[in-house]
Amino acid sequence: MNSPLYEYDLLGEGASLIVALVIGFFFGFFLERGGLGNPHKLTGVFYFTDFTVPKVMFTAILVAASGLYLLSDLKLLDMDKVWIVPTYFWPQITGGFIFGLGFLVSGYCPGTSVAGLASGRIDALVAMTGMVAGSLVFAFLYPFLESFYMSAGMGAITLPNLFRINHWIIMVIIYACAGIMFYLMERYEAGKTG
Amino acid sequence: MKKNNYWSPYLSGAGIGLALLAAFYVMGKGLGASSAFSIVSAVAVHQVNPEYAGHLKYFSRYLSVDSPFRDWIVFELCGLFAGAFTGALASRNFHLRLDKGHGMGNATRLFTAFTGGILIGFASRLARGCTSGVGLTGGAQLALAGWIFVISMFVGGFLFAAIFRKMWS
Repeated sequence: MNSPLYEYDLLGEGASLIVALVIGFFFGFFLERGGLGNPHKLTGVFYFTDFTVPKVMFTAILVAASGLYLLSDLKLLDMDKVWIVPTYFWPQITGGFIFGLGFLVSGYCPGTSVAGLASGRIDALVAMTGMVAGSLVFAFLYPFLESFYMSAGMGAITLPNLFRINHWIIMVIIYACAGIMFYLMERYEAGKTG
Repeated sequence: MKKNNYWSPYLSGAGIGLALLAAFYVMGKGLGASSAFSIVSAVAVHQVNPEYAGHLKYFSRYLSVDSPFRDWIVFELCGLFAGAFTGALASRNFHLRLDKGHGMGNATRLFTAFTGGILIGFASRLARGCTSGVGLTGGAQLALAGWIFVISMFVGGFLFAAIFRKMWS
Protein backbone atom coordinates (compact mmCIF):
# COMPACT_ATOMS: atom_id res chain seq x y z
CA MET A 1 0.00 0.00 0.00
CA ASN A 2 1.54 3.30 -1.02
CA SER A 3 -1.29 5.66 -1.66
CA PRO A 4 -2.31 8.46 -1.19
CA LEU A 5 0.80 9.04 -3.30
CA TYR A 6 1.46 12.55 -1.99
CA GLU A 7 1.22 11.42 1.64
CA TYR A 8 3.78 8.68 0.91
CA ASP A 9 6.16 11.25 -0.61
CA LEU A 10 5.93 9.68 -4.05
CA LEU A 11 5.05 13.10 -5.40
CA GLY A 12 6.74 16.43 -4.77
CA GLU A 13 4.97 19.70 -4.05
CA GLY A 14 5.53 21.01 -7.58
CA ALA A 15 4.13 17.82 -9.10
CA SER A 16 1.12 18.04 -6.79
CA LEU A 17 0.27 21.43 -8.30
CA ILE A 18 0.37 19.93 -11.81
CA VAL A 19 -1.97 17.20 -10.52
CA ALA A 20 -4.24 19.99 -9.19
CA LEU A 21 -4.40 21.53 -12.68
CA VAL A 22 -5.19 18.17 -14.32
CA ILE A 23 -7.82 17.07 -11.79
CA GLY A 24 -9.32 20.57 -11.83
CA PHE A 25 -9.48 20.42 -15.63
CA PHE A 26 -11.62 17.28 -15.58
CA PHE A 27 -13.73 18.64 -12.72
CA GLY A 28 -14.46 21.81 -14.71
CA PHE A 29 -14.98 19.97 -17.98
CA PHE A 30 -17.60 17.64 -16.50
CA LEU A 31 -19.25 20.49 -14.57
CA GLU A 32 -19.71 22.50 -17.76
CA ARG A 33 -20.81 19.48 -19.82
CA GLY A 34 -23.36 18.58 -17.15
CA GLY A 35 -24.84 22.07 -17.43
CA LEU A 36 -23.55 23.26 -14.07
CA GLY A 37 -22.14 26.50 -15.44
CA ASN A 38 -25.74 27.53 -16.16
CA PRO A 39 -27.54 29.29 -13.27
CA HIS A 40 -30.97 28.25 -14.60
CA LYS A 41 -30.01 24.60 -14.27
CA LEU A 42 -28.20 25.23 -10.97
CA THR A 43 -31.25 26.76 -9.30
CA GLY A 44 -33.87 24.61 -11.07
CA VAL A 45 -33.97 22.06 -8.27
CA PHE A 46 -35.26 24.67 -5.82
CA TYR A 47 -38.26 25.32 -8.09
CA PHE A 48 -38.81 21.67 -9.10
CA THR A 49 -38.07 22.53 -12.74
CA ASP A 50 -34.65 20.89 -13.24
CA PHE A 51 -33.04 18.19 -11.10
CA THR A 52 -29.57 18.34 -12.64
CA VAL A 53 -27.84 19.45 -9.42
CA PRO A 54 -28.93 16.56 -7.18
CA LYS A 55 -28.43 14.07 -10.03
CA VAL A 56 -24.86 15.20 -10.71
CA MET A 57 -24.03 15.67 -7.04
CA PHE A 58 -25.27 12.33 -5.73
CA THR A 59 -23.87 10.41 -8.71
CA ALA A 60 -20.46 11.98 -8.05
CA ILE A 61 -20.69 11.20 -4.32
CA LEU A 62 -21.71 7.58 -4.98
CA VAL A 63 -18.92 6.98 -7.51
CA ALA A 64 -16.22 8.57 -5.35
CA ALA A 65 -17.45 6.97 -2.10
CA SER A 66 -17.63 3.50 -3.66
CA GLY A 67 -14.14 3.88 -5.10
CA LEU A 68 -12.68 5.29 -1.89
CA TYR A 69 -14.02 2.56 0.40
CA LEU A 70 -13.30 -0.17 -2.15
CA LEU A 71 -9.65 0.93 -2.52
CA SER A 72 -9.38 1.10 1.25
CA ASP A 73 -10.88 -2.39 1.77
CA LEU A 74 -8.59 -3.83 -0.91
CA LYS A 75 -5.65 -2.28 1.00
CA LEU A 76 -4.76 -0.18 -2.05
CA LEU A 77 -5.25 3.09 -0.20
CA ASP A 78 -4.43 4.00 3.38
CA MET A 79 -7.59 5.64 4.71
CA ASP A 80 -5.75 6.82 7.83
CA LYS A 81 -3.74 9.16 5.63
CA VAL A 82 -6.77 10.65 3.90
CA TRP A 83 -7.74 14.05 5.34
CA ILE A 84 -11.35 13.63 6.43
CA VAL A 85 -13.52 16.78 6.44
CA PRO A 86 -13.98 17.65 10.15
CA THR A 87 -17.45 18.13 11.57
CA TYR A 88 -18.47 21.24 13.50
CA PHE A 89 -22.15 20.50 13.78
CA TRP A 90 -23.95 23.82 14.33
CA PRO A 91 -21.53 26.03 12.34
CA GLN A 92 -21.96 23.69 9.34
CA ILE A 93 -25.74 23.51 9.69
CA THR A 94 -25.88 27.33 9.87
CA GLY A 95 -23.32 27.77 7.10
CA GLY A 96 -25.18 25.31 4.87
CA PHE A 97 -28.46 27.15 5.39
CA ILE A 98 -27.01 30.60 4.56
CA PHE A 99 -25.17 28.98 1.65
CA GLY A 100 -28.50 27.69 0.28
CA LEU A 101 -29.85 31.24 0.26
CA GLY A 102 -26.70 32.60 -1.40
CA PHE A 103 -26.80 29.80 -3.99
CA LEU A 104 -30.42 30.62 -4.85
CA VAL A 105 -29.89 34.39 -5.02
CA SER A 106 -26.62 34.39 -6.98
CA GLY A 107 -27.41 31.30 -9.06
CA TYR A 108 -23.99 29.77 -8.41
CA CYS A 109 -21.75 28.13 -5.85
CA PRO A 110 -17.97 28.77 -5.79
CA GLY A 111 -16.86 26.02 -8.21
CA THR A 112 -19.78 26.46 -10.58
CA SER A 113 -19.29 30.25 -10.70
CA VAL A 114 -15.88 29.59 -12.26
CA ALA A 115 -17.54 27.23 -14.77
CA GLY A 116 -20.16 29.94 -15.41
CA LEU A 117 -17.47 32.53 -16.13
CA ALA A 118 -15.65 30.03 -18.36
CA SER A 119 -18.80 29.77 -20.49
CA GLY A 120 -18.97 33.57 -20.86
CA ARG A 121 -21.29 34.60 -18.02
CA ILE A 122 -20.46 38.05 -16.68
CA ASP A 123 -22.90 37.61 -13.78
CA ALA A 124 -20.74 34.68 -12.60
CA LEU A 125 -17.74 37.02 -12.40
CA VAL A 126 -19.84 39.42 -10.32
CA ALA A 127 -20.87 36.54 -8.03
CA MET A 128 -17.18 35.58 -7.68
CA THR A 129 -16.37 39.15 -6.63
CA GLY A 130 -19.15 38.86 -4.05
CA MET A 131 -17.59 35.64 -2.71
CA VAL A 132 -14.25 37.41 -2.25
CA ALA A 133 -16.08 40.22 -0.42
CA GLY A 134 -18.03 37.71 1.68
CA SER A 135 -14.79 36.07 2.82
CA LEU A 136 -13.62 39.49 4.01
CA VAL A 137 -16.92 40.03 5.85
CA PHE A 138 -16.29 36.75 7.67
CA ALA A 139 -12.68 37.68 8.49
CA PHE A 140 -13.88 41.11 9.70
CA LEU A 141 -16.55 39.58 11.96
CA TYR A 142 -14.31 36.67 13.06
CA PRO A 143 -13.60 38.07 16.56
CA PHE A 144 -17.35 37.90 17.23
CA LEU A 145 -17.85 34.60 15.44
CA GLU A 146 -14.83 32.66 16.67
CA SER A 147 -16.47 30.98 19.66
CA PHE A 148 -19.39 29.80 17.49
CA TYR A 149 -17.03 28.82 14.65
CA MET A 150 -15.06 26.58 16.99
CA SER A 151 -18.13 25.13 18.73
CA ALA A 152 -19.76 21.70 18.37
CA GLY A 153 -16.52 20.16 17.07
CA MET A 154 -16.82 16.40 16.50
CA GLY A 155 -13.53 15.84 14.69
CA ALA A 156 -13.14 13.64 11.61
CA ILE A 157 -16.33 11.71 12.32
CA THR A 158 -17.96 9.63 9.57
CA LEU A 159 -21.41 8.07 9.40
CA PRO A 160 -20.00 4.52 9.90
CA ASN A 161 -18.19 5.73 13.11
CA LEU A 162 -21.23 7.61 14.31
CA PHE A 163 -23.68 4.73 13.93
CA ARG A 164 -21.04 2.07 14.63
CA ILE A 165 -21.95 0.03 11.57
CA ASN A 166 -20.02 -1.20 8.55
CA HIS A 167 -19.50 1.42 5.83
CA TRP A 168 -21.08 -0.82 3.18
CA ILE A 169 -24.37 -0.84 5.10
CA ILE A 170 -24.33 2.97 4.93
CA MET A 171 -23.43 2.74 1.23
CA VAL A 172 -26.33 0.38 0.48
CA ILE A 173 -28.73 2.75 2.25
CA ILE A 174 -27.36 5.69 0.21
CA TYR A 175 -27.56 3.67 -3.04
CA ALA A 176 -31.19 2.81 -2.28
CA CYS A 177 -32.14 6.40 -1.36
CA ALA A 178 -30.37 7.81 -4.43
CA GLY A 179 -31.98 5.18 -6.66
CA ILE A 180 -35.47 6.02 -5.41
CA MET A 181 -34.73 9.76 -5.67
CA PHE A 182 -33.41 9.48 -9.26
CA TYR A 183 -36.44 7.36 -10.25
CA LEU A 184 -38.88 9.90 -8.82
CA MET A 185 -37.07 12.82 -10.48
CA GLU A 186 -37.08 11.10 -13.88
CA ARG A 187 -40.76 10.27 -13.54
CA TYR A 188 -41.61 13.81 -12.47
CA GLU A 189 -39.66 15.31 -15.40
CA ALA A 190 -41.20 12.86 -17.88
CA GLY A 191 -44.64 13.81 -16.56
CA LYS A 192 -43.98 17.52 -17.09
CA THR A 193 -42.75 17.23 -20.68
CA GLY A 194 -44.89 14.34 -21.84
CA MET B 1 -34.51 29.29 -27.77
CA LYS B 2 -32.48 26.38 -29.06
CA LYS B 3 -32.26 23.23 -27.05
CA ASN B 4 -29.13 22.84 -24.98
CA ASN B 5 -26.59 20.12 -25.75
CA TYR B 6 -25.54 19.21 -22.22
CA TRP B 7 -24.55 15.67 -21.39
CA SER B 8 -26.52 13.36 -19.14
CA PRO B 9 -26.22 14.49 -15.51
CA TYR B 10 -25.34 10.91 -14.54
CA LEU B 11 -22.43 10.82 -16.98
CA SER B 12 -21.22 14.23 -15.83
CA GLY B 13 -21.65 13.18 -12.19
CA ALA B 14 -19.66 9.99 -12.75
CA GLY B 15 -16.84 12.04 -14.34
CA ILE B 16 -16.76 14.41 -11.37
CA GLY B 17 -16.81 11.41 -9.02
CA LEU B 18 -13.76 9.95 -10.75
CA ALA B 19 -11.93 13.30 -10.55
CA LEU B 20 -12.70 13.37 -6.83
CA LEU B 21 -11.54 9.76 -6.41
CA ALA B 22 -8.29 10.63 -8.22
CA ALA B 23 -7.76 13.47 -5.73
CA PHE B 24 -8.23 11.03 -2.83
CA TYR B 25 -5.86 8.49 -4.37
CA VAL B 26 -3.10 10.87 -5.39
CA MET B 27 -3.35 13.64 -2.78
CA GLY B 28 -5.16 12.11 0.18
CA LYS B 29 -7.66 14.96 0.15
CA GLY B 30 -10.68 15.95 -1.91
CA LEU B 31 -11.68 18.81 -4.18
CA GLY B 32 -12.41 22.36 -3.06
CA ALA B 33 -13.17 25.83 -4.33
CA SER B 34 -14.23 28.41 -1.75
CA SER B 35 -10.91 28.74 0.08
CA ALA B 36 -9.35 30.08 -3.14
CA PHE B 37 -11.76 33.04 -2.93
CA SER B 38 -10.77 33.55 0.67
CA ILE B 39 -7.08 33.54 -0.31
CA VAL B 40 -7.76 36.14 -3.01
CA SER B 41 -9.60 38.22 -0.42
CA ALA B 42 -6.74 37.99 2.10
CA VAL B 43 -4.09 38.87 -0.49
CA ALA B 44 -6.17 41.77 -1.84
CA VAL B 45 -6.60 43.27 1.61
CA HIS B 46 -2.90 42.76 2.27
CA GLN B 47 -2.05 44.61 -0.97
CA VAL B 48 -4.27 47.56 -0.11
CA ASN B 49 -3.49 47.80 3.59
CA PRO B 50 -0.93 45.32 4.99
CA GLU B 51 -1.31 46.64 8.52
CA TYR B 52 -5.08 46.13 8.54
CA ALA B 53 -4.69 42.65 7.01
CA GLY B 54 -2.30 41.82 9.83
CA HIS B 55 -5.06 42.60 12.33
CA LEU B 56 -7.47 40.13 10.73
CA LYS B 57 -6.83 36.98 12.73
CA TYR B 58 -8.76 34.71 10.36
CA PHE B 59 -6.64 35.72 7.33
CA SER B 60 -3.36 34.95 9.10
CA ARG B 61 -3.75 31.31 7.99
CA TYR B 62 -3.29 32.43 4.37
CA LEU B 63 -0.84 35.30 4.86
CA SER B 64 1.62 33.42 7.07
CA VAL B 65 2.99 31.49 4.07
CA ASP B 66 5.50 32.88 1.57
CA SER B 67 3.32 32.69 -1.52
CA PRO B 68 -0.40 32.32 -0.72
CA PHE B 69 -1.33 31.58 -4.35
CA ARG B 70 0.98 28.58 -4.48
CA ASP B 71 -1.90 26.55 -3.10
CA TRP B 72 -3.42 23.27 -4.28
CA ILE B 73 -6.97 24.62 -4.50
CA VAL B 74 -5.89 27.77 -6.38
CA PHE B 75 -4.25 25.55 -9.02
CA GLU B 76 -7.24 23.21 -9.04
CA LEU B 77 -9.54 26.18 -9.76
CA CYS B 78 -7.29 27.34 -12.61
CA GLY B 79 -7.62 23.84 -14.06
CA LEU B 80 -11.38 23.99 -13.48
CA PHE B 81 -11.60 27.21 -15.49
CA ALA B 82 -9.57 25.69 -18.34
CA GLY B 83 -11.66 22.50 -18.34
CA ALA B 84 -14.99 24.34 -18.30
CA PHE B 85 -13.74 26.74 -21.00
CA THR B 86 -12.71 23.79 -23.17
CA GLY B 87 -16.10 22.14 -22.64
CA ALA B 88 -17.97 25.35 -23.46
CA LEU B 89 -15.92 26.04 -26.61
CA ALA B 90 -16.03 22.45 -27.89
CA SER B 91 -19.81 22.32 -27.52
CA ARG B 92 -20.33 25.87 -28.87
CA ASN B 93 -21.74 26.86 -25.50
CA PHE B 94 -19.54 29.90 -24.98
CA HIS B 95 -21.50 33.16 -25.22
CA LEU B 96 -20.60 36.41 -23.54
CA ARG B 97 -23.75 37.45 -21.68
CA LEU B 98 -25.42 38.44 -18.43
CA ASP B 99 -27.45 35.39 -17.45
CA LYS B 100 -30.55 36.06 -15.36
CA GLY B 101 -34.08 35.00 -14.53
CA HIS B 102 -36.88 35.83 -16.99
CA GLY B 103 -37.94 39.46 -16.78
CA MET B 104 -35.18 40.48 -14.39
CA GLY B 105 -33.42 43.77 -15.10
CA ASN B 106 -29.65 43.96 -15.60
CA ALA B 107 -29.09 46.12 -12.52
CA THR B 108 -31.15 43.74 -10.39
CA ARG B 109 -29.13 40.81 -11.71
CA LEU B 110 -25.82 42.48 -10.85
CA PHE B 111 -27.20 43.11 -7.37
CA THR B 112 -28.41 39.52 -6.82
CA ALA B 113 -25.18 38.02 -8.18
CA PHE B 114 -23.08 40.18 -5.87
CA THR B 115 -25.16 39.87 -2.68
CA GLY B 116 -25.68 36.14 -3.24
CA GLY B 117 -21.91 35.89 -3.66
CA ILE B 118 -21.32 37.70 -0.36
CA LEU B 119 -23.63 35.26 1.43
CA ILE B 120 -21.80 32.31 -0.16
CA GLY B 121 -18.35 33.69 0.69
CA PHE B 122 -19.41 34.20 4.30
CA ALA B 123 -21.26 30.88 4.64
CA SER B 124 -18.38 28.88 3.13
CA ARG B 125 -16.00 30.20 5.76
CA LEU B 126 -18.43 29.43 8.56
CA ALA B 127 -19.02 25.88 7.24
CA ARG B 128 -15.27 25.36 6.50
CA GLY B 129 -15.93 24.84 2.79
CA CYS B 130 -18.56 24.79 0.07
CA THR B 131 -20.42 22.37 -2.18
CA SER B 132 -17.06 20.97 -3.35
CA GLY B 133 -14.91 20.99 -0.22
CA VAL B 134 -17.56 19.94 2.30
CA GLY B 135 -20.52 18.70 0.21
CA LEU B 136 -18.88 16.49 -2.44
CA THR B 137 -15.66 15.67 -0.59
CA GLY B 138 -17.22 15.13 2.84
CA GLY B 139 -20.23 13.39 1.30
CA ALA B 140 -18.01 10.88 -0.52
CA GLN B 141 -15.98 10.24 2.64
CA LEU B 142 -19.29 9.56 4.40
CA ALA B 143 -18.19 12.35 6.76
CA LEU B 144 -21.01 13.70 8.91
CA ALA B 145 -19.95 17.24 7.92
CA GLY B 146 -20.71 16.62 4.23
CA TRP B 147 -24.21 15.25 4.80
CA ILE B 148 -25.37 17.87 7.29
CA PHE B 149 -24.05 20.63 5.03
CA VAL B 150 -25.80 19.30 1.93
CA ILE B 151 -29.11 18.72 3.72
CA SER B 152 -29.01 22.15 5.32
CA MET B 153 -28.14 23.77 1.97
CA PHE B 154 -31.14 22.17 0.25
CA VAL B 155 -33.44 23.11 3.14
CA GLY B 156 -32.25 26.73 2.87
CA GLY B 157 -32.58 26.75 -0.93
CA PHE B 158 -36.10 25.27 -0.97
CA LEU B 159 -37.32 27.54 1.80
CA PHE B 160 -36.05 30.75 0.22
CA ALA B 161 -37.19 29.64 -3.26
CA ALA B 162 -40.72 29.51 -1.85
CA ILE B 163 -40.26 33.10 -0.67
CA PHE B 164 -38.45 34.40 -3.80
CA ARG B 165 -40.72 32.60 -6.25
CA LYS B 166 -40.02 34.84 -9.23
CA MET B 167 -36.23 34.99 -9.04
CA TRP B 168 -35.42 32.17 -11.48
CA SER B 169 -38.60 30.31 -12.42
